[in-house]
Amino acid sequence: MSAPVMQHPSSTPTLGYAAGIGTIFTLEIRQRVRSSGWYIMLGIWFVVIAAVVGLAALSVGVDGFGAGQMMFELVVAFVLLFGMLIAPALSSNSITGDRANGTLAILQNTLLTPWQLLIGKWLAAWVASLGFLVVTIPLIAWAMTYGDVYLPGVPVLVGMLALELAIVCAIGVGVSALANKTLFAVLISYLLVALLGLGTLIGFGLSMKLVQVEVKASEQFWSEQNLNGDSSVAWDDNAYSCGTALYPQTIFATERNTWLLAANPFVIVADAAPRPLPKPGDDSFTTVGPMGAISQGVRLSQAGQLASTPCINGIKNTEVKPEEATPLWPLGLGLQLLLAGSLLVAGRRKLHTPAGKMASGTRIA
Amino acid sequence: MKSEVPSPAGPLGRNQHGQGGISATGLARSFGRVHAVENIDFRAAPGEVTALIGPNGSGKTTLLLMLASLLRPDSGSITVAGMDPVANSSGVRAVLGWMPDTLGVWESLTGREILTTMAALYGMDKKSAAQRAAELLKLVSLGDLADTPARVFSRGQAQRLSLARALINDPSVLLLDEPASGLDPGARVQLRTMVRQLADSGKTVVISSHVLAELDEMADAAVFISKGRTVRSQTLAEAGEQTRGYTIGTLDITALRETLQARGIEASYVQDFDSARGSAKTRLATEAEAAALLAALVAAGVPVTAFAPSSGLLEETYLSLEEGAS
Ligand SMILES: Nc1ncnc2c1ncn2[C@@H]1O[C@H](COP(=O)(O)OP(=O)(O)OP(=O)(O)O)[C@@H](O)[C@H]1O
Ligand SMILES: [Mg+2]
Repeated sequence: MSAPVMQHPSSTPTLGYAAGIGTIFTLEIRQRVRSSGWYIMLGIWFVVIAAVVGLAALSVGVDGFGAGQMMFELVVAFVLLFGMLIAPALSSNSITGDRANGTLAILQNTLLTPWQLLIGKWLAAWVASLGFLVVTIPLIAWAMTYGDVYLPGVPVLVGMLALELAIVCAIGVGVSALANKTLFAVLISYLLVALLGLGTLIGFGLSMKLVQVEVKASEQFWSEQNLNGDSSVAWDDNAYSCGTALYPQTIFATERNTWLLAANPFVIVADAAPRPLPKPGDDSFTTVGPMGAISQGVRLSQAGQLASTPCINGIKNTEVKPEEATPLWPLGLGLQLLLAGSLLVAGRRKLHTPAGKMASGTRIA
Repeated sequence: MKSEVPSPAGPLGRNQHGQGGISATGLARSFGRVHAVENIDFRAAPGEVTALIGPNGSGKTTLLLMLASLLRPDSGSITVAGMDPVANSSGVRAVLGWMPDTLGVWESLTGREILTTMAALYGMDKKSAAQRAAELLKLVSLGDLADTPARVFSRGQAQRLSLARALINDPSVLLLDEPASGLDPGARVQLRTMVRQLADSGKTVVISSHVLAELDEMADAAVFISKGRTVRSQTLAEAGEQTRGYTIGTLDITALRETLQARGIEASYVQDFDSARGSAKTRLATEAEAAALLAALVAAGVPVTAFAPSSGLLEETYLSLEEGAS
């Protein structure tokens, strides 16, 4: 056959980039909204979180302090926790499911490109998991009515929450593109999410041994008016001096290993949120709620135990200027984006057609 | 399926850029240690139906996947409608319709939604997609089920939807992998008519099937493959010229035997237990020879009740190839 190459009329069809993504997105969302399981899950979710928030309102509301902030942060923490549990399931069967169904090859045989497929699936999984945030809007509104919610923190917490869900969905979709079996994909995405959520904690805990240091501490001497009679003191940075008799004390230099917590989703969300500045003269706990507690805990850990040891080498630690704690979340977010991004890129390569090497035991159709 | 297809501007015959067809030479593809395709030469001309025939596991689906730009050949070259599926996969996909042997449907979507989604993935706008989907649903007789979720489709209905899906972009090259499996007899006839019309409107149609009698009726050419190799390519005209087995039924086997022996024709005979009935099997070189023999038998007064080829044209080739191989 000596037909000239490419003699097609001008009407060669083309598929716009956004149009392709949009079509896949619609295809996915359509399937999801038609499964009743999805609504049942949302319903159960709403009931559970409403109960938790309601209880919080009851118990914290008694003394009238911080109920709104507490409720709001509980919603954020729960959505994040539930998102970590749900998003991998929502996203990790998105491509393996099509593979098992025989519909992936059909999509690949159209003008759709692998990136359009991945992005469309990812957006759909993300929007679906955002549903779990959206149904909690009434609860967030309820928390707002208490008037004590620190407003600058709200958009950041909600935004970071949405971003974390997006990252988990990207991990799930990437794994889904790489895996051949849905079960395997679900398992791997859960393991990766657990690595972020729990693995960081475990790593942090295990590394404690490595950051153990010995310092020379000494006793504090308090002026009379600070002594309470029993062995406790009314703490005041300016009202004590350090003894000269040094003794060795083992402390943990957590400023060296706190970065291990960086990629924890809770740490990222909590750390990114702005906190109300402590009122001068009042250095009592300025935070209520789980996210505030996480944020505060991480900041303390970043400062290191040395910073909270009153007397080192016979000098008051307040005289040693503590290093300004750098925010941890950019590092964590970077690590997560790197993980999600490389999974997506690897998934993209796996979706390339015409397929070269194929995993053994898989067929295209 | 409606057998009357409006042509050439109807659903089947809009694109006329059929030049090019398919040509593949020296194709090989293995999966790990399995050599699914070892050496296949394949040619399909526009305006013709080319049958792809071979035993289970001979590499038909693998070949079609390579032609459909989904699988990269290890070696060899392919041209589909003038384009190389490896170098220019999107160009090939734009003009290609592929009906896989596995039925992939999105279960919660309706037939109409599946078709409009596919149309959108070929860059069609909403209006023409809806119109095209409606046309095709009618063409494959799924009009009544258009808005039912595909989950409830029977196998044959899903198969028809799959065919409609393969036609959504009005392809000039159509690859059908066992399209008739699961279809009822009526739908098979309609499928044949439709395939014929598609080819007649200038499209290149490749069809793999195990029902050789059906292929006899619609194919113009056939490629036989076995164990990943092309063992024979022939047109149906060529197949008609080869020696064929004939079965002759008679009420009087003795008369038949005498007449055949008188003409020096070798045959094997089977006789009924309790009567003079029986049949003879023989091989005849041409159709003209068969006609002459029948006339002679009738003239000799042999009560002939049946006189027909023992097998279809393609089946004949298939069986002769199997004999040759074993
Ligand atoms: N992805 C794969 N991995 C490993 N082996 C494969 C793969 N795909 C096909 N094969 C093998 O290659 C050979 C050809 O398979 P193929 O599906 O092309 O056969 P076929 O001619 O379509 O058979 P059938 O008539 O049953 O549909 C078979 O032996 C099959 O087991
Ligand atoms: Mg097959």
